[in-house]
Amino acid sequence: MAPLKKPVKAAKPAKSKPKPAASAGRKSAPAAIKSPPFRPPPRPTPPAPPSTPDSSKADVTRADATLFDPLTPGEIADALRTLTEDRRLSSMAKVGRYRVICNEPLVVKPPHWMAGHRLVRVVIYDYAADRAVDACVDLDAGVVAHLELTKGQPMLSRDEEALAVSIAMVDDRVREKLAIGDTPQSTLHYWGRTSEDLAYARRSAAVVFGRPDGHASVIAVVDLIENLVTQVVPAELW
Amino acid sequence: MSNMISEANWKFHWRLTESAGIMIYLADFRGRRVLWEASLPYVTIDHQRETLDVKDDPGEVHGPWWVPLGARTLEGPVRVQSFRGGVELSAAFAAGPYHYTQLWRFHDDGRISPWLTIYGPGVHDQHTYHPHWRFDFDLDGARDDAFERFEDNRWQRVEREGWFPYSGEADEHGNVWRQVDFGSGAAINIRPHSWDDAEVFAIRYHDGEWAPYSPRSAAGSATFPSAYVGDEPLDGDDVTLWYVAHVHFDQSFPYTAGPWIKVSGLGK
Repeated sequence: MAPLKKPVKAAKPAKSKPKPAASAGRKSAPAAIKSPPFRPPPRPTPPAPPSTPDSSKADVTRADATLFDPLTPGEIADALRTLTEDRRLSSMAKVGRYRVICNEPLVVKPPHWMAGHRLVRVVIYDYAADRAVDACVDLDAGVVAHLELTKGQPMLSRDEEALAVSIAMVDDRVREKLAIGDTPQSTLHYWGRTSEDLAYARRSAAVVFGRPDGHASVIAVVDLIENLVTQVVPAELW
Repeated sequence: MSNMISEANWKFHWRLTESAGIMIYLADFRGRRVLWEASLPYVTIDHQRETLDVKDDPGEVHGPWWVPLGARTLEGPVRVQSFRGGVELSAAFAAGPYHYTQLWRFHDDGRISPWLTIYGPGVHDQHTYHPHWRFDFDLDGARDDAFERFEDNRWQRVEREGWFPYSGEADEHGNVWRQVDFGSGAAINIRPHSWDDAEVFAIRYHDGEWAPYSPRSAAGSATFPSAYVGDEPLDGDDVTLWYVAHVHFDQSFPYTAGPWIKVSGLGK
């Protein structure tokens, strides 16, 4: 097995990778751009963050399980409104060329001041700036409590998966390689191994075509920035 | 169906995530907190070319890919079933040529089996699966933890964050890594599947370093969880563990990857 795990090994850091001096004991995500949080006008009764954690909140055994519950449609809408009103994302919201990747409840541990708050993690891909937005919205306080703008590549949204299929389906190079009965089977988030591959740094999807029995026949790589097919590869040569 | 299960000396909650399969959270064994949350953030797949001639070997031409295991790939319901000596959750996921069954099995003796059964044809035979599990154990509280690995015939304390592959050494029970709580002396013992070619990343917990929504950080940067690994001390702090398996398609399939985890020292 050892030779087969080369790519993963290559990506691993040395065991004692030095930390950036600026982190000063608190880590930050790679290439993160952080700026002071924007505080919109307060809501009627926002709970003030405690200056010191109280003893009950400092106990992870007393965590409120309901904070993990799925978000309601209203909570999702509230989180997205709060996020798109944040000044740091005004250019993204104005241009409107972004995809919401997902919204999920987020629960932080005591003694963090947000422990016990209803939090939403929102991940967006901003096509205008070619960047990922990873935010934590505090619904209780009505603020964006954490925001990271990075060059990371979050998973594809369902819309992006559908878009990749529609682009691949009308590409002549793809169509001429498909056999009768071949249909799109799945869309995967793909990235190139080396910088020679366009998909190395650009948001890309791979659409797998095949027969209904699961046998794959053709793979089309779709560049989601330019909305075009960049590679068409027979499955056996992938 | 309630998402809280109290059975076989365990009490835990679960939910289906967008991309990390079934997530388990706030799990207690015999009334004592063991786990804050655990999930399967992603399974990446690499492809190789088969050639007998080294000079013709193109290596791995294409990069890895993945598809989220969540609501969009779920097939059928999440099942909760009792078995002799425990209770289990299972869910089947299908993503084109890749098929998985995720399992969380809780035994009344303190074992947890976070497993993933892999099957389906793939796009061709030469491919390798890399399931990544993330565990945020809070054994009797979040802090005062230490991480140890079995090396040179004894348990050795690991002082700083890092990547710790299975070297072939294990204690008499097959355990290779463990997270120990200073206060209670209780421990989480991790035994890899012998064919998983497994490794563990031990990372100090930080808010903001939650389970990522992709294996990929920026182009040219380390993937997750490597991107979270620094040089911070682990001793006495809150530790997050990632268990990563590497499963080549030449294994007999279906193949069930994932560790045995056993809680010890929490009393009868």
